Amino acid sequence: MGLVGIAGGKVLSSFSVFLFLTILLLAVARRISTSVLLFSLQSAVITAEVLATAIQEKLAEAWVVGLLVLVIKVVAIPRAFFVLARRLKTVRDVKASTTPTQSVFIAALMIYLSYAAVHSYGQAMHVPDDALAAAVALILTGAFLMVSRTKAIMQMLGLLVLENGIFLAALITTFGMPLVIEIGIFFDILMGLLLMGIFTFRISDTFDHLDAAKLRRLRG
Amino acid sequence: MSLGTAIAQALLLVLGAPLVRGTIALLKARLQRRRGASIWRPYADLFKLFRKEELVPPTSSFIFRAAPAVLFAATVCAAAFIPVLRPSALLAARGDFFLLIYLLALARFFLSLGALDGGSAFGGMGASREALVSSLAEAPLLLGLAAVAILARRADLAGMVAWTLGQNVFDISAVHILAFTALAMVTLAETGRMPVDNPTTHLELTMIHEGMVLEYSGPSLALVEWAAAVKLHLMLALLIALFCPWGMAVGNAGWGIAPAALLYILKLGILMGVVSVIESAVAKLRMYLVPDFLGVASAVSALAVIFTVLVKR
Repeated sequence: MGLVGIAGGKVLSSFSVFLFLTILLLAVARRISTSVLLFSLQSAVITAEVLATAIQEKLAEAWVVGLLVLVIKVVAIPRAFFVLARRLKTVRDVKASTTPTQSVFIAALMIYLSYAAVHSYGQAMHVPDDALAAAVALILTGAFLMVSRTKAIMQMLGLLVLENGIFLAALITTFGMPLVIEIGIFFDILMGLLLMGIFTFRISDTFDHLDAAKLRRLRG
Repeated sequence: MSLGTAIAQALLLVLGAPLVRGTIALLKARLQRRRGASIWRPYADLFKLFRKEELVPPTSSFIFRAAPAVLFAATVCAAAFIPVLRPSALLAARGDFFLLIYLLALARFFLSLGALDGGSAFGGMGASREALVSSLAEAPLLLGLAAVAILARRADLAGMVAWTLGQNVFDISAVHILAFTALAMVTLAETGRMPVDNPTTHLELTMIHEGMVLEYSGPSLALVEWAAAVKLHLMLALLIALFCPWGMAVGNAGWGIAPAALLYILKLGILMGVVSVIESAVAKLRMYLVPDFLGVASAVSALAVIFTVLVKR
């Protein structure tokens, strides 16, 4: 234990700051590739938290889950996004409906809100405040990204950020779900990504763009 | 003893500043696979400029002549507030971090005045841009320093650094990381480094600092350039002192100074490396995107202040 244990505990309590940083940077990112890289970075931080839990609680399953997160969310999904963006030949801009300054202030507000929301719960349940707040903030910003980015590919990314938040919340409150369920969730994500990829291909084939805001004019 | 080190610290910041500039320039050149000039080049430049004749535009008033002196004096004064080798400084007992910020603001104000007084179009353009950037950068600088001050419950820089020295490395809090991010972004903007301003070009329509100093020549230009170098060194030293002071000499024993100086040079080297990597890897922002860059810094620093309430003490 010793130093490794101390470092593990510190990772759990203080790495959420890096999650906040990725949230703020995601709010200002202008390019799809930057956003995807930030998502990859965010998943890497979550991997570190999973491994820290594995060390702290001596859970063998957590090592497997950490490996899965590393392989799927840090490597595979970002690669898939890059391939998708290249195949779709889309422009690099994320097409946000809010200016970056507005986005970053909204994101900061969400982080503060999530702290206010989890404060009493965290004290009652004896879980680290920061990490739980980070999970809620990830869920909120994921939803915010889905609403404010009009491009279909960015809405997929928003959903994945939201999923990261749910995963982190489960990890913090119950030290992760059972391994079978965890694997099922990862499979769901991959299938969802596949379906959404097909959808975006169809959207771009039919309409020659990926802008979800323009789809309403073609109704009826 | 302590007065001696205090003076040595201030001299290190002021006299070492051109070396910092030269080292960053060399690191950048090596990263871009160029040979690069010697790291002592800025000293030679200063020496050359100090011996040259000074040319003054016929339309300018005394402000044009006075501005470089005020700029240099205010910047050196600010440098005397920064703890480098030990958690104390020459003027540490005489002012808090607000004074530091407003000394830097005074320096900027006179540089802009001098640029406007020079009468050239580029000077006026550079001055107006500098006013925009600095007014936006002041809030995150103030809030970032205030966040650390609230944690330390001290308003003077030396006290804040001494408090951080007493903490465990592992106990570094969210406030520190957020405030560091905000101050690092402000440092890049304030010292005219890459994402905001390009320090290596002249006569480009996007320039800020180089536009302002276009009319200066001879000893005045030397003072302006030296002040800019001191400001860069000062901001880097401030980042080191506030967020990574471990290794500074504590107590009155004289033998702690040498390892403290070595560690300081090591930390400064790492920071200079990061700056040169950023400068080589990042493209300059369009002028209209600079407020967004500083808006992010503002949001991060505001979060840092909010987090001081949330962090358990």
